[in-house]
Amino acid sequence: MTGRARARSRGRARGQETAAPGVVSLHEQLVNMLSISAGFQQVKIGERGGRRRDFHDAGINTRQAMEHVRESKSGFSGSPIELKANFFKILSRPQWVLYQYHVDFKPVMESRRLRSALMYQHEETLGKARTFDGALLFLPHKLHNTETVLYSETRMGEKVQITVTLTNELPPTSPVCLQFYNIIFRRVLRMLNMQQIGRHYYNPTDPLNIPQHRLTIWPGFTSTILQYESSIMLCTDVSHKVLRSETVLSFMMGLRQQSGDQRFPEACTKELVGLIVLTKYNNKTYRIDDIAWDHTPNNTFKRGDSEISFKDYYKAQYGLDITDGNQVLLISHMKKIGPSGGPPQGPAMLVPEFCYLTGLTDKMRADFNIMKDLSTHTRLTPEQREGRLNRFVGNIHQNTEAQTELNTWGLNFDNKLLSLTGRVLPAERIVQGSRTYEYNPWQADWSKEMRGIPLISCRPLENWLMFFTRRNNDVAQALLQTLNKVSTPLGIRMQRAIMVEYEDRQESLLRALQQNVKKETQMVVVVLPSNRKDKYDSVKKYLCVDCPTPSQCVVARTLAKQQALMTVATKIALQINCKMGGELWSVEIPLKQLMIVGIDCYHDTAAGKRSIGALVASLNQGMSRWFSKCVLQNRGQEIMDGLKVALQGALKAWLKHNNCLPSRIIVYRDGVGDGMLQSVVNYEVPQIMESIKTMGHDYAPKLTLVVVKKRISSRFFARIDGKLTNPPPGTCIDTEVTRPEWYDFFIVSQAVRMGSVSPTHYNVVYDSSGLKPDHMQRLTYKLCHMYYNWQGIIRVPAPCQYAHKLAFLVGQSIHREPNMNLDDFLYYL
Amino acid sequence: MNTIFTPPLYIQRYEFVIDFVKENKPKKVVDLGCNDCTLLRKLKFHKEIELLAGLDIDCAVIRAKMYELAPIPTDYLQPGDHPLTIELYQGSVTERDPRTKGFDLVTSIELIEHLQLEDVDRFTEVVFGYMAPVAAIISTPNADFNPLLPGLTGFRHYDHKFEWTKVEFQTWALKVCKEFGYVVAFTGVGQIPAQEESIGFCSQIGVFQIDRSGGDAPRLQNNVAEEHLPYRVLYNVVYPSLCDSNIFQRTLVNEVLYWAETLKREWLEEIRGVGDEESEQTDEEGCSREGMDREESQTGEVERVEAGGRGFEVENEEVGGEGRTDMGQVEPYREGQSVCVPLVRLCSCPRVQALSGTVQRLTKFLLENSRVQLTNDGTAVVLVDSDDEDLEWDENFDNTGTGPFFVSSVENEDWETELGQ
Repeated sequence: MTGRARARSRGRARGQETAAPGVVSLHEQLVNMLSISAGFQQVKIGERGGRRRDFHDAGINTRQAMEHVRESKSGFSGSPIELKANFFKILSRPQWVLYQYHVDFKPVMESRRLRSALMYQHEETLGKARTFDGALLFLPHKLHNTETVLYSETRMGEKVQITVTLTNELPPTSPVCLQFYNIIFRRVLRMLNMQQIGRHYYNPTDPLNIPQHRLTIWPGFTSTILQYESSIMLCTDVSHKVLRSETVLSFMMGLRQQSGDQRFPEACTKELVGLIVLTKYNNKTYRIDDIAWDHTPNNTFKRGDSEISFKDYYKAQYGLDITDGNQVLLISHMKKIGPSGGPPQGPAMLVPEFCYLTGLTDKMRADFNIMKDLSTHTRLTPEQREGRLNRFVGNIHQNTEAQTELNTWGLNFDNKLLSLTGRVLPAERIVQGSRTYEYNPWQADWSKEMRGIPLISCRPLENWLMFFTRRNNDVAQALLQTLNKVSTPLGIRMQRAIMVEYEDRQESLLRALQQNVKKETQMVVVVLPSNRKDKYDSVKKYLCVDCPTPSQCVVARTLAKQQALMTVATKIALQINCKMGGELWSVEIPLKQLMIVGIDCYHDTAAGKRSIGALVASLNQGMSRWFSKCVLQNRGQEIMDGLKVALQGALKAWLKHNNCLPSRIIVYRDGVGDGMLQSVVNYEVPQIMESIKTMGHDYAPKLTLVVVKKRISSRFFARIDGKLTNPPPGTCIDTEVTRPEWYDFFIVSQAVRMGSVSPTHYNVVYDSSGLKPDHMQRLTYKLCHMYYNWQGIIRVPAPCQYAHKLAFLVGQSIHREPNMNLDDFLYYL
Repeated sequence: MNTIFTPPLYIQRYEFVIDFVKENKPKKVVDLGCNDCTLLRKLKFHKEIELLAGLDIDCAVIRAKMYELAPIPTDYLQPGDHPLTIELYQGSVTERDPRTKGFDLVTSIELIEHLQLEDVDRFTEVVFGYMAPVAAIISTPNADFNPLLPGLTGFRHYDHKFEWTKVEFQTWALKVCKEFGYVVAFTGVGQIPAQEESIGFCSQIGVFQIDRSGGDAPRLQNNVAEEHLPYRVLYNVVYPSLCDSNIFQRTLVNEVLYWAETLKREWLEEIRGVGDEESEQTDEEGCSREGMDREESQTGEVERVEAGGRGFEVENEEVGGEGRTDMGQVEPYREGQSVCVPLVRLCSCPRVQALSGTVQRLTKFLLENSRVQLTNDGTAVVLVDSDDEDLEWDENFDNTGTGPFFVSSVENEDWETELGQ
């Protein structure tokens, strides 16, 4: 750890000047003055860690530019349903106002700490409830005079004149006030003895343990106080933090044992880089960015004027002994800017023995058993969830300390969940060739209904290969037979496959592919002996890049169960057909010349932090044919730069298929993180328009951009037969819990069998289509029916899921741009 | 003003206390006039201390940073061996509060000079007569040193009521010793070379130890009937530690289950033979049933992770009798559908051993806990062999009722005409 990093780890970074003090404080005051004159938009109250990013994307007003939704953004289709949401209203005393004062010290006091100390001497004048960051003072009440002059004395006996001047009266809805509510709420959580990890608070006293995997799960809550459609509310959801009850050192030793000395550095980097660790000595989290293979605790760093070893430092500072003097150190780059806007600080060096991992590694995420164990602990039914939320708010109401804090500021919370009305959108009819049918709306699944009905269009399988190992000869034969059996009712004509046996080694599988896959090969099916990723990756790499051919991998064990073989074979037959360009089913789309685009991205943390952006665009009226394109971006590059070209490709493909260009384009943009909305609005929308313009001067289609968000903390519950349950699929919410500055709505489109369903949030940030909100909602819901890898309704519009699937395949397995010959097929399903 | 010393004088004072703690290992420490708890934050890393208390008259300064004394997440993840309780009070050092009795060390760093002289007498009586700690560290400015401080006129701080010379301090201290049965050693921090003899330290310190030379002088036993608790508790936190029986049980059970599972897995791999593809199925779940399984989990829901019947499949081998000896089983063995891991074997894992000591004790602890299943004779942990049971989630899908919420689908719509376009 460098000297600076160490200082930071002790919390010096919180605005305590380390640079030339006079300059800094002047600068600071200047900034504050500017922000006061510019209104309260820029004012930020110092918060733990001094984060500047707004995770709630507040203050981005996109609705006012869309005239057709300025008055109302509500739909009307469907039948009303009474819902509860995980929101609690804030009850503040009437006319709650926050008073902002500017504080001047004469003579000028350079140390912020000293300024605070001097202010402390005037509690009787200023009152208990106050927030002071060194220059700005916020009070929940108004001082008698607009300008108050106070006198203090320093420890040195220096007399100081403090002038407190009223500069602003902030209404409860002002951004500063909202920020304020959040800070006070955090204090309250602290009083409930909850531990802050990252942005949320967790309860450490009642952990759930999964000892087999050394996992500890802390129940906790996410909470946000924001201005929602009609009032300020607290949105809080149950959250679980996965922690590991072992140190990074013991994890590394285990890994060394498993992988052997030779492969250890590689395995270690792969497993650890990107993970967040907690330390034994301070309350901070660090991201592991690298491993310092040439550093051990015996290395020294500069502390003040002298060099000290990490070992001695930790002993002296925290009384911690390092038992393993040979462990390598971890490197964490600090993204945050240095104190007072200075240059970023150097990397922190961490000792593995003092670090604990949080979260799951990719390997654990992929381990079915771990995920199963985890989900049994963290999955809560609507009733359990409601119970926890009520208990949480109940605790706040019962804790005297918390109540005192809230009362000094004149704030409180409602004690029950918000009730509101939603609508259940009409169920869709599935069109499959000449037949149409309905599905059970509660199950949102038509795998049973579609049995025995021919698909919209089928590609005959005339020239195809099946690869298998000797050991799996039997299952391969069984698969072939069953495929044959299930394909006839679906309408798929299938010739016998050419069977190719390969030796159970990656190289021999690749050689078998090279020797047997020809130009005219329509489909390659590979029976894999195990679910090891390397063979799968090499199949996909070869058949997506070098020799573009649709392929289908299947693990032998999936086929081993006799009773499930029919189901499995049906799914495989459907998948094969899609990958070759066949169409399965459709829903009615009541708009002509409409192109739907889905965008998602995948961030490859391991391979040099590359990002992969995928764009999928519809090619026909029935939304059953898609154009797909994937671009690889280097770090720091905007995802849209590459996707611009992909969008032009999509428009050209549309032109080729339809002999005209679409008159409407609706883009569903997924993969937008918290706090990134601004850049989508300011950067991506103009980029998309520019890209469209290249198709011709007089080409001006109607354009809509919808930001799709899956990871949100809003939850909705319905009361059915006196029991709190998940809302039925198709439930749409467009009032109360939406945001006034946005054209947004929620749809619960999928059905879940366990736990609570998470709704998807749609935010229309740009819309020149003139479509009514009701149309937008219904169209969105219709598109959730169109994902061919799932015979049911999914969480997001199909093109988003396709884009996700494509980006994931490229990011996980291929690492290169797929061959363009595959662009018109759903080869990545 | 203290910049003439490196490290700064206040740091030197804290370090003096810390060095004393390292040497004398007091279990209970109270800091009088703890201010914003800086000293307490440093002391909490000293494992010998079991009770750390702070007292200050100003509740605002205590509150300012008191939560920094709270346990951090890692304290919960790996609870320490030693207990630690931290208590913060608002109150005056001139008042007696029974909760301050029985401490091993009382520190009063640069405090007394803030008291009126008549309150110093009360303070003396409260600390040495009433609290009667084993040791006390009292520091205060040395007025003799003031002429050496550049630019200083009057006292060092506007709130100081007095500043004692070396002689005044020592007179007071010796009187204390005589009256309450202590011995004192005089020292201090902050020296200017060659001046120490005549002037002494910038901060003078008296280290008082209870005088046991004359046999244990009967301590004044105050009446037990003290109901009066003048101090207000501002903060009270008990650190998680293995001394808490619940935490101990939980930690032990977690270790036992972790090692038992590890030993089971290793044993199963061994009897099954290494290099078998099947055995690798647990480590990666890359591309099974390509597309579908993974798809289902991506369709958004963790809720939807497929139960495709993974987990290891164990061939139906008869291994029942293998490796058993009559004298205590050491390797895991199979019993019906389960794998049994002997406690003797578990006890050889360092962490389990450190926690439980002997096999007998381990057995005793585990018998008290329902989370670990033991064999009938109590010599081994029973683990389910594998998760063979396929979860048929489709079966317990309870949302099958048809609510009144669904309107049937709308046919033959045309939004374009609706929009008049």
